[in-house]
Amino acid sequence: MSTEFDAEAYAKATAPALGLPLDPRHMPGIVANLQLAARMAALVEALPLSPADEAAPVFVAGREPPK
Amino acid sequence: MISAAKTAAAIRAGKFRAAEVTERALAGIAARNATTNAFTEVTTARARTEAAAVDAAIAAGRDPGPLAGVPYAVKNLFDLEGVTTLAGAAIEKDRPAAARDAFLVRQLRAAGGVCLGALNMDEYAYGFTTENHHYGPCRNPHDLTRVAGGSSGGSAVAVAAGLVPLTLGSDTNGSIRVPSSLCGIFGLKPTYGRLSRAGSYPFVGSLDHLGPFARDVADLALAYDAMQGADPEDPAQQWRPVDPVASLLDQDVQGLRFAVAGGHFARNGHPEAFAAVATVARALGATRRVELPEAARARAAAFLISMAEGANLHMPDLRSRAESFDPATRDRFLAGAMLPAHWVIQAQRLRAAYRDAVLKLFAEVDVILAPATPYVAPHIGQDMIEVDGAMLPVRPNLGIYTQPISCIGLPVLAVPIADPVAIGTPGGLPIGVQLIAAPWREDILFRVAAALERAGVCASPQPRS
Repeated sequence: MSTEFDAEAYAKATAPALGLPLDPRHMPGIVANLQLAARMAALVEALPLSPADEAAPVFVAGREPPK
Repeated sequence: MISAAKTAAAIRAGKFRAAEVTERALAGIAARNATTNAFTEVTTARARTEAAAVDAAIAAGRDPGPLAGVPYAVKNLFDLEGVTTLAGAAIEKDRPAAARDAFLVRQLRAAGGVCLGALNMDEYAYGFTTENHHYGPCRNPHDLTRVAGGSSGGSAVAVAAGLVPLTLGSDTNGSIRVPSSLCGIFGLKPTYGRLSRAGSYPFVGSLDHLGPFARDVADLALAYDAMQGADPEDPAQQWRPVDPVASLLDQDVQGLRFAVAGGHFARNGHPEAFAAVATVARALGATRRVELPEAARARAAAFLISMAEGANLHMPDLRSRAESFDPATRDRFLAGAMLPAHWVIQAQRLRAAYRDAVLKLFAEVDVILAPATPYVAPHIGQDMIEVDGAMLPVRPNLGIYTQPISCIGLPVLAVPIADPVAIGTPGGLPIGVQLIAAPWREDILFRVAAALERAGVCASPQPRS
């Protein structure tokens, strides 16, 4: 995954959707961090999960206040 | 610096006044803080007011609390009334002062503690070394050319250098345990949801924990007990009964089942990390090994969640003044802002599955031992380090053993090896070990840490500088 991932092109395409101006001087650091994140994501992705594996944070509609 | 427990006992017994102890501590900070750069703010007036209140309570025959007159300080992401909460960032320094103390600070104040100030950290807690671009690097008192660890570097250094006996920090991916290890002190990252985080500047709500640092187990227990309590303002806190540990420290550890973490936790480090674990394992008679399944993937999940949640929190500033961030955090936040949602959601799903798998281990084991850091404190400014023949970036790699544990909120007590020279650490520098238990079993960790302390295996080595 990471070998095919063009981090700079991705950043340039994504930033406008977020209204995030990117200073070209910051691009090498952004690219390095996106590439690292892509390697981390590949590790995560390689573990098969079932539809029953819900995300860790669970919304709580209301809590009994502490006594 | 005498311990928190002895200080409180002496003040309660009328042997010292809190005001005297406070003045001595303030003088020590004035004389020695410049050496390590641990404090970023000294709250002199507040400390004198709190000390006077303790002395007045004693004079009036009222109970001044279990931490009567004990000097302490907090990582500068905790709100202190009347002080601007910096969270290590230049961006925050012009914000209004906090209107109220953080919950844990209120708890310590109610217990008689005297707050002396705020402590250096990595910007927005996003780092493992406290080489802060805006406020300067925090120096390790065991070797001033080396890092303190982070992100709660000032919290660890203030205790290791003997400026105060007690501090508070935060731990999202290892930020209590890493500096504890590198500075040779005790640090507690409680179970996720145990202590309220309200009134502290968040980094990653999904993973943030707060906890204490101290030079011995009794002081750590004293602080932990004082800080427990339900707080409706922390949405992640579990409202459990207060579960004090200070009275358990004399209990023996017979019958507890110990195991050393294998796999991921038995590689990726230097020999001193494993020697430290072997020393503790030998003292506890731990011969068994357990494998935390998919620990490396859990670390990757924590990494992605941290990037994305951390960036989300700072989006307005990333859009309008990215230049004002510490260069070390800025590019990580900018990249984190752009992570595909799928990566982050998948990481949160993996996290839940990994938790379920790891919790099964505690049916057969009470305490798991793992290295706290892969090596002793690196040099300030050092970028790379060789591990297993590969050159790796030294800073992110410091969290390799802590991230897979905080990822699922398990309680950890980081214990320092009493005699690092004897286990052959480079330069005799300190190193620690993680004692890991099932959720809500901090009581077991305190008993084991106290037993290791009694056996002379774990203690805070005295800094030479």
